[in-house]
Amino acid sequence: MGQVGKRLALIDGVEKVTGQVRFAADDAVAGLAHAALLFSPHPHARVLSLDAGKALAMAGVIGVWWHQTTPQNGYNSAIWLAGQQLLADERMFPAVVRHVGDRVAVVLADTEATARAAVGLLEVTYDVLPAILSPEGAQAHAGPTVDADRQPTYLNPVAKAALDHGDVAAAFALASHISETHVTTPRSHHCAIETHVCRAWPEANDRIAIHSPCQSVFAVQAVVAQALGIAADRLHVTKSPIGGSFGGKAEPILDPICAFLAMQTGRVVQLQLSRHETFTATRTRSATEGRMRIALATDGRILGRDVEVTVDIGAYCTGGAYLPGSMLQRMVRLYDVPAERYRGRAVYTNTLPTGAFRGYGSPQIHALGEIALDLAARDAGFDPVALRLRNIVGPAAIDPWQGLNLGNARGADCLRRGAKAFGWETRARLAPGTGRFRRGVGMAAATHINGCFPGDDESTTATLGLQADGGIVLNCALHDLGCGSDTTLAQIAAEVLGLGLQNIRVTPADTDTCTYDLGTRASRMTYIVGEAVRKAALALDQAIRDAAALALNAAPQDLTLQQACVQSARTRISLADLATWLAARNTALPIATQTHRATANPGSFAVHFAEVEVDTLTGRVQVTDYLAAHDIGRAINPMLVEGQIHGGIQIGLGYALYEDVAVDPGTGRLRGDSFARYTLANAPEMSPIRTLLVEKAEPTGPFGAKAVGEIATVPVAPALVNAVNAALGTRLTDLPLLPERIILALQN
Amino acid sequence: MTLLNVCRPTSLAELVAVLRGADPVHLIAGGTDLLVGSRALPDAGRLVDLTALPALRGIDTTGPDIRIGAATTDAEIERHAGLALRYPALVQAAAECGSVQIRNRATLAGNIANAAAAADLIPPLLLAGARIAGLTQGGAECEISLQDYQAGSGMLITTVILPAEGFDPDSAFVKLGPRRDLTIARLNLAVTAQVQDWRLLEPRIVAGALAPRAIPLLRAASVLDAQTLTADLLRAFLDALSAEVDAAIAGRASHGWKRQAIRGLGIDLIARLLKLSNRDPLFDGVM
Repeated sequence: MGQVGKRLALIDGVEKVTGQVRFAADDAVAGLAHAALLFSPHPHARVLSLDAGKALAMAGVIGVWWHQTTPQNGYNSAIWLAGQQLLADERMFPAVVRHVGDRVAVVLADTEATARAAVGLLEVTYDVLPAILSPEGAQAHAGPTVDADRQPTYLNPVAKAALDHGDVAAAFALASHISETHVTTPRSHHCAIETHVCRAWPEANDRIAIHSPCQSVFAVQAVVAQALGIAADRLHVTKSPIGGSFGGKAEPILDPICAFLAMQTGRVVQLQLSRHETFTATRTRSATEGRMRIALATDGRILGRDVEVTVDIGAYCTGGAYLPGSMLQRMVRLYDVPAERYRGRAVYTNTLPTGAFRGYGSPQIHALGEIALDLAARDAGFDPVALRLRNIVGPAAIDPWQGLNLGNARGADCLRRGAKAFGWETRARLAPGTGRFRRGVGMAAATHINGCFPGDDESTTATLGLQADGGIVLNCALHDLGCGSDTTLAQIAAEVLGLGLQNIRVTPADTDTCTYDLGTRASRMTYIVGEAVRKAALALDQAIRDAAALALNAAPQDLTLQQACVQSARTRISLADLATWLAARNTALPIATQTHRATANPGSFAVHFAEVEVDTLTGRVQVTDYLAAHDIGRAINPMLVEGQIHGGIQIGLGYALYEDVAVDPGTGRLRGDSFARYTLANAPEMSPIRTLLVEKAEPTGPFGAKAVGEIATVPVAPALVNAVNAALGTRLTDLPLLPERIILALQN
Repeated sequence: MTLLNVCRPTSLAELVAVLRGADPVHLIAGGTDLLVGSRALPDAGRLVDLTALPALRGIDTTGPDIRIGAATTDAEIERHAGLALRYPALVQAAAECGSVQIRNRATLAGNIANAAAAADLIPPLLLAGARIAGLTQGGAECEISLQDYQAGSGMLITTVILPAEGFDPDSAFVKLGPRRDLTIARLNLAVTAQVQDWRLLEPRIVAGALAPRAIPLLRAASVLDAQTLTADLLRAFLDALSAEVDAAIAGRASHGWKRQAIRGLGIDLIARLLKLSNRDPLFDGVM
């Protein structure tokens, strides 16, 4: 093994830290026009009129557009493939705005300052309509989601998912302990440092180029084509370097408008949101409320669960229709439960739409499941680790919903080894103390998916080719979101080809030059794309050895690739010389393309352990120790894996303790709409973190690897909540655990 | 198209000339309030940068009074050894403002003029009986007490004076925000007193973020006056702090939490004043 398992620095790391990377808004372009948006101040209103006279009179203003002058095609910003069936209820500029921050109009001008000033001069009249600002209110507003004209209506639920597995009534009848827990999870914001931005410009042949920090160029193409009502092949989409996403840039929000303006005006158009606009007019994680009843046997076996979940998806469907099913999928892959009843529903409210965010339903459902299980363990007198060990799925378990094999599931190893390394047995027995500061330990388990299988487009195609200079180019629709997936994939290729990372060049995603890929989502980069790269590398290895066999007059099977050379025991040729030799003979340079179609969706597992100290007077929680045990299959780059885990804990810590965009129930405005009012966990809040990687290979993953990016954040919040409850003897179940909630719980 | 002109006077005479001009004047020093993205910059008049005026900089602790230039940064206050010896509460408050980057820019007078309810420098300044020297809109010199200062009155602050009789080395500041660092106070407290034989003589306490302006907590302070610090006394002190919260914000959403949280902050305040850990056995029986 040369490259896999090594702690190699990011291939674009030096470029990034020396400021050489050009993000989407960085390049100065002559004639660049800037767009700025007018957003609705009302949670629900009909836009009656727009007077743009004063704005258009401003020097430098190019034009103003609103719903009467823009395409009114319904679209869904969460699709990643044309024809994907998702409720197409979004408009670039709707005649009826559905949330505070919905788009009313756009101004295009020569400078951003002019565009923003002109937005301030737009005069709009609204007919304010009744608004639904809570999921409780939404449930009362029930009915079909599409009316007789196939137009989306405003009735709930938008989507449902259900499972009836085994005999739940019998399970509860047999139980020796039954507990019921109600958990609410907040809306949280992604907080990428780069705000949302897009550039578009006309290209030859009546095409539009879109340059966007996105998670899938093909998703951008599909969504913009749907929104503008044009053929997808008129759109040429390239991915720009991305300053953080976490799911927040999974959906093209600005791209349809930017492309439309470029088409209308022939200008190079940039649309960039401010920090405030990124908070109030993009996407959040969905808020959920859930109720879980758990039936436990005397030996700690979970006999049955009965679960109800309501997901507040906000004002537009986006991918929210998938959430009840996604949450069910994640829930049933963690424990072996013979009887389950699940009812999940997604409801519209007149609030900011929700969308992808690291884990996509996993943090919500595992918060419910793991907090509920901990309280059940406490009530029934079981140790939380022992109870989970009694029930966690093992290798080759079959999930009861989709019937998928969970692969080399190593959750039990995470539990055992994590508990030992953390010193769980000793620490869980320690009394929390009786003074002002109380200590407690808590833990939680979680599982997450590896890719979209059995979805029918879960495949990808990778091409690796020898270049004239002896380097290898990897071409695949790759979207590194800053997590280091380009580096990981280059390591996989380099490993197979006997090369160093410096020999592999990774091309950014481009709809004109890359084959289709559904993008960076669903924890699929290492597991799915990595396997495609590995297969392509194997094929290229064969092709290079075949070619070199002629050059060296050797049998291909006697040749190996090592250190940028092809060699046998007696002879060798460098890849650069081989390329020259082949070119001189008018022979094509070796190239290999392989398509990998997923045949499995194994589970990644994690168990996190936390120690907290709670100030019983102020309600402040300090995380004092943390250990994360991850079933990773094989760490292609342990340093990047640890980086993912550290970042996942930072997001999860905020989710547990601080973060909530908090829709005001009276006005529909967000309270947490800036970094001043939205509290993130910063460095002093982070505890020391230990990581423990369980590396037992997953046979279907590249070199045995499985995903870590999303699962790293999933168990954090329940582990911390369970630790706080252990410290205080409370039953806190509403996230985040704000000081007010802790003090109130202590007083009750 | 912009009608906002920027000037950077380097002498008080030059500054006075600008103040006396016809254009509306907007003052800027560190810019940590004016330049944040969520606020609109004024679009006309003169933006007067105060950071190049030597007369507005510097800390003088050598005389009986302490004099601090209005444009002195939080970081300069935080690092000033003389100030730390003579009035630790102000140094502690400066050290807890914002981030390192903010403290390198934000100024003493900016904290006063911005007049946020949660301003961290105000409680220790009020405790010290601070006076403000400056220029009126017409450019005339004036001096008033901080207590009488009205934000938005048009007065340009040049110097903050801590009169010799107002401050004491036995002083402390504590704050409580949503997180430990880089946080806006949801409560802050400053105290000054003479500490003798486990007694606080003539203690005075000011609380911030409890009302639109920082307020003295007279009743809570009186509980402590000249009494030996015992668990019983501290408990009575904490009860008095809770009562002060009841009086200030009864009925507000934050009331229930703040009346409890101020007990924790009260212990932290006394601990810091006595240079003890807030986990010292002295506080064990107080809960």
